[in-house]
Amino acid sequence: MGRRGMPAPAQTVDQRNDFDGHSTTPGRVATFGGSSSPIIGETDSAAELPKREAIVPLHGDGDETGETMTEASERPPGTTRQRLIAAASREFAHRPYSMVSLDDILAEAQLTKGAMYFHFQSKQALALAIIDDLNEMSRAAVTESLARRMSGLETLIDLIFLLAVQDTQDEVARAGVRLLETLDNTTTAPPAMWRSWIGVVTTLIQKAISEGDVADHDDPEDIAKLLVALWAGVRRISNPDQPESHLANLKTVWVLALPSFTNPDRIDYFTQFIRRRHALALNKVSAEPLSLDRHATAAAAHADP
Amino acid sequence: MAPQARSEATRQKILDAAMDLFSEVGYAAAGLGEIIERAGMTKGALYHHFDSKEALATAIIEQGDNLTRDVFGHVCQYSSPALENLIHGVFVVTDLLVSDKAARTAEQLTRGLAEFNNAASHVWPNRLDAMTTQARRAITEGDLRDGLDPQVVSESILNAMLGAQLLSSAAQDTGHITRLTRSLELLLPAIVADQSLDYFRQFLAREPLRHLQAGGSTK
Repeated sequence: MGRRGMPAPAQTVDQRNDFDGHSTTPGRVATFGGSSSPIIGETDSAAELPKREAIVPLHGDGDETGETMTEASERPPGTTRQRLIAAASREFAHRPYSMVSLDDILAEAQLTKGAMYFHFQSKQALALAIIDDLNEMSRAAVTESLARRMSGLETLIDLIFLLAVQDTQDEVARAGVRLLETLDNTTTAPPAMWRSWIGVVTTLIQKAISEGDVADHDDPEDIAKLLVALWAGVRRISNPDQPESHLANLKTVWVLALPSFTNPDRIDYFTQFIRRRHALALNKVSAEPLSLDRHATAAAAHADP
Repeated sequence: MAPQARSEATRQKILDAAMDLFSEVGYAAAGLGEIIERAGMTKGALYHHFDSKEALATAIIEQGDNLTRDVFGHVCQYSSPALENLIHGVFVVTDLLVSDKAARTAEQLTRGLAEFNNAASHVWPNRLDAMTTQARRAITEGDLRDGLDPQVVSESILNAMLGAQLLSSAAQDTGHITRLTRSLELLLPAIVADQSLDYFRQFLAREPLRHLQAGGSTK
């Protein structure tokens, strides 16, 4: 089983209830670009979010070598790989990349160096795997927003708030966001990621123009660049430990930016649309403060008996 | 093809033929012989999968109901207001019933067999439950009027949806979305809290726009 076989920590943010009230976890990559996502089906732009099979374990995931000597009952649950990702995420989410040592991560995961090298050759390899996971979560959020079958601009606003909650509430996502900034110049992943985000947003803006929500006097791609820059900027200037202020910043800049591309008679509706999502996102982050052992819990739920 | 996949393909081929015939001549008039002929199968193949016409109907109802449940479930996120989910959800379902053969045939069979078939008898109560969950949340979010019974709210909306379907199929047009929009326009002031009414009128008025592409490509 390759790394894609790991359980989906992304969806711990949102376990949706369907008709029966049982939770349907949306597929991460598998369902992406499927028939339920008409917009992506047309251009496939979102499918270009970087997907990198960077670190392939030599022998698969099934090993449990290199346990440190602890009582079995104290051992964190999950496979070795999941434990490494969860531990590294906790470290990277709270301290700068350069300050985190491999020993810190191994102590947090209660694993030996040998167990780590089986999966990851270096600290950077671990960091890139976390960025990969962030990208997968973002793809899942795109799929989820499209599946609601709203208009283009409504879908985009839904997506922005889903991502904001995910980026502040999910430990792996938070670590991924910070690592993206740190590793910006050392890998090719970020430029490709921004290009694909601009692609996704351009598609939604084109739809919004055809629906009459966005004025047709500007190039959709230019509008997309503005919105992606706003989104990345808000993430950058907000403290991830204060999700409320992150959400407030997001709402403020969006409401301010709306008139620059929205048709005048739709501005009032979309301002309310944003306010309502902001209120719900706020409820979500205050009802579920970030829990440090979320992934340990998720891993436990998925661990083999 | 692996034996299992081949068996599944055969099963689906029989179901497709049955859906076509049920929607053309109705459940009562459809004969198993004609379904076999249309599917290009032998009697043995059909009986291997379905022991009666009712078993066929049950399978179609379940398949269509799963689709419907999924599209409604996708709409109902924590991140969007529950009253939006409730309103938009019935439109997405209506759209599916126009555009998807399995969902549409399942709905017809459910209408005809609700009193006789176990699978059919559960379809509407389950749908109502899912809607009531949203209505209950909409009350806590302050979008519904105080003192309303969430069950009654969702029943009224489901009534409007089922009525729009019946009238549209009787008229043999595709006015489902328009009819549903008109009924809910009348219903909104009775159920939506004053401070939210203007917003939800706009939200509702946008429904035809949301279904332009999807609703336009009727199969």
